[in-house]
Amino acid sequence: MKIAVCVKHAVDETELRADGSGKPVLKGAATKMSTFDKNAVEEGLRIRSRSAPGSEMVVFTVGPSDAKKTIREAVAMGADRAVLVVSEAAERDAFVTAYLLAKALGASGTFDLILCAEGSSDTYDVQVPAMLGELLSLPYVGYASRIDVEGTNVKVLETYEESAQTVEAPMPLVVSVQSEINEPRYPTLVQIMQASKKPIQELTPSQLADAAELKKRLEIRDTSVQSMNRKKVVYDGAPVETAQKLLNALRAEGVISR
Amino acid sequence: MSAGGVAIWAYSELETAANETAFVANELANATGGTATVIEVDKPRTGVAAARKLVLRAPGPIGDSPQLVAGAIHAAAQARAGGAAPSLVVVGGTRKGKETAARLAVKLNSGCMSDVFGLTLSETGDELRGSRNIYAGKFLASVACRLPAIASLKTGMTALPETSGSQAGAVEVFDVGELASKVKVLSKNPKPASRVDLRGAKVIVSAGRGVKKKEDLSLVEGLAGALGGVLGCSRPISSDLGWLPEEHHIGLTGLAVHPDLYLAVGISGQLQHIAGIKDSKVIASINTDKDAPIFQASDYGVVGDLYKVIPELRKLLGSAGSAR
Repeated sequence: MKIAVCVKHAVDETELRADGSGKPVLKGAATKMSTFDKNAVEEGLRIRSRSAPGSEMVVFTVGPSDAKKTIREAVAMGADRAVLVVSEAAERDAFVTAYLLAKALGASGTFDLILCAEGSSDTYDVQVPAMLGELLSLPYVGYASRIDVEGTNVKVLETYEESAQTVEAPMPLVVSVQSEINEPRYPTLVQIMQASKKPIQELTPSQLADAAELKKRLEIRDTSVQSMNRKKVVYDGAPVETAQKLLNALRAEGVISR
Repeated sequence: MSAGGVAIWAYSELETAANETAFVANELANATGGTATVIEVDKPRTGVAAARKLVLRAPGPIGDSPQLVAGAIHAAAQARAGGAAPSLVVVGGTRKGKETAARLAVKLNSGCMSDVFGLTLSETGDELRGSRNIYAGKFLASVACRLPAIASLKTGMTALPETSGSQAGAVEVFDVGELASKVKVLSKNPKPASRVDLRGAKVIVSAGRGVKKKEDLSLVEGLAGALGGVLGCSRPISSDLGWLPEEHHIGLTGLAVHPDLYLAVGISGQLQHIAGIKDSKVIASINTDKDAPIFQASDYGVVGDLYKVIPELRKLLGSAGSAR
C-alpha cells in the first residue's frame, strides 16, 4: 500500500501579532505544521501499520524552504520520505497549491490513498483536498472521522454539521480527515534526531508545470487585525453576587427576556 | 462583461443557506444589471424563494452529495442552461457547500473564495470582492477574484428580509444526464428528531471542558432552557469526548453562530472557539480561571465555579420567572 499525506507549513495563528497599523507581522512569524495535518499524518501511519510489509507513506508539502521544519516533524512521526515543492505562500492560492500537489504526486509514483486534513489552521480555505480529487480525477471523500481499508476499498465515516454517513469507494482515492479521527503521536527525541538524516526530495514549480498553469485566481488585497471590541467587564467574588451582577448586565443589554 | 450583465447562480442544500445565497445573488444582480437564478436539484423547494429557478435533474436522485451536485451544476453551465453559463456561482458555506464550491472551481476553471461575506462586484463587473476570516478569526482578509468565480457564502451573515418564502417565479427544468460516482453510500445516520438549530438561535449557552462529567451537561442545558436558549459546546465536548453530537459544536471547524447572547460556561476560549462566536451581539462567560482567554473575548465575565454560579443564576431566574 502506498500512502501520500499532504501537509501545510502554516503560520502559527496563536502567535501571530499585528503591527501598529493592524497588519499581521508575517516576516519572522512563528510557523508550525498545520494543526489538523497532524491527524492526517497519524491516520496515514495507522493505516500503514495495518498494511502489508513494504507499504510506504510519503509526505508532500508545497511551501517555502522553511517548510522542511514541518516535513521533519512528519518524518519524525514516522513518514518514510518526503517531497517538498519549494514555493512562497504569496505565489499561491488554494488552486495553485492543489495543482502543484497533484503534479508532484503524479511525478512521484502511484498512490493508493492520498490523505489531507479538512482545512488548514491558518487560512482554512477548505479547498485543496476536493480540488486534488478533481485534478487527479479520483474519488474524493471529505470530513472523515473514521477510515477503514477493506481490500481494495476504503470505508469512510463522513461527518457533516447535522448528519453523518458511511461511504465506500475504491482505491486510489483522496480523503480529508477531521481532527477527532485520532490523537496524533508525539515523536521521541531519537525519532526527531533521526528525521533530520532522512532525505527530502525538493522540486520546483517550474519542474512540474508551466507558469501559465500556475496563475493565482484569488488575491488577498488586504489583511487587518479584527478588534475584539468587547467590554471585558469581569465580576469576581461570591457566586450569589456575581450571578446577580451578570443577570443585571444581560438584562440591561436587552439580550434576555427574564 | 457584456452589456447583458453577469449571470449569477445560487445554490445550497440547506434551505436557510439557500435563501441567503439567493438574496446575495439578487443583490449582486440588481447592482450590475445581471440575472440571479436559484439552482435546485431533483425538485424545487417551496421554502426557497426566488424569481427564477433552474431545477437540475438526473436519471437518478442527485441529493446533496457535493460530487453529484457539482457534476450537475457543471453540466448545466456547459449547456448554458437557463440561457447563459454563470459567471458567478454563490454556494452556501456549509461543509458540503465548501466541497461543492472547490469542485466547481476546478470543473469551471474558476477562482474560488471560501466562507466569504460582504460580497460585491467591481464597477466594471468583472471582479468579485469579499471578506473572510483568517488566522482563526484574528484577522480579516479582503479577497478578490476575477470572474468567472465560485464563492461559498459564510452562513448566518446575511440579514434576510421578512418574506413568506412562497414567492412564485419562473421555474425551468434541465436534465443533466447521467452522473457517475464511485462513492457508494452504505448507511446514513438519521438526523435526530429534535435537531437543534444553533445558527438561528437568539441565546446560546455553551459547555466546555470545565464540565467534569457528561451527566453535568444537564446543568448547562438547564441554564440554557431558563434563558430561553439552546445548548452548544466547544470542540472537546463533541469531538474528543463525544458527549454531544457534532451539531452542537461551535468554532472554526464547527458552526459559526451569531446569537444575541452567547454564554460560554467552562470554556477557556481558544482562538478556534472564538472564531465561531465572534459575531455574537453579547458574549458572556463563566470560568474558574481569571486568566482564561475567554474573558478577553467577553463583554461580561464571571470568575467562578460553574457548579456554584449556575445554581445561583437558576435561583434568580426562577424568581423572576414566577413573578411574571
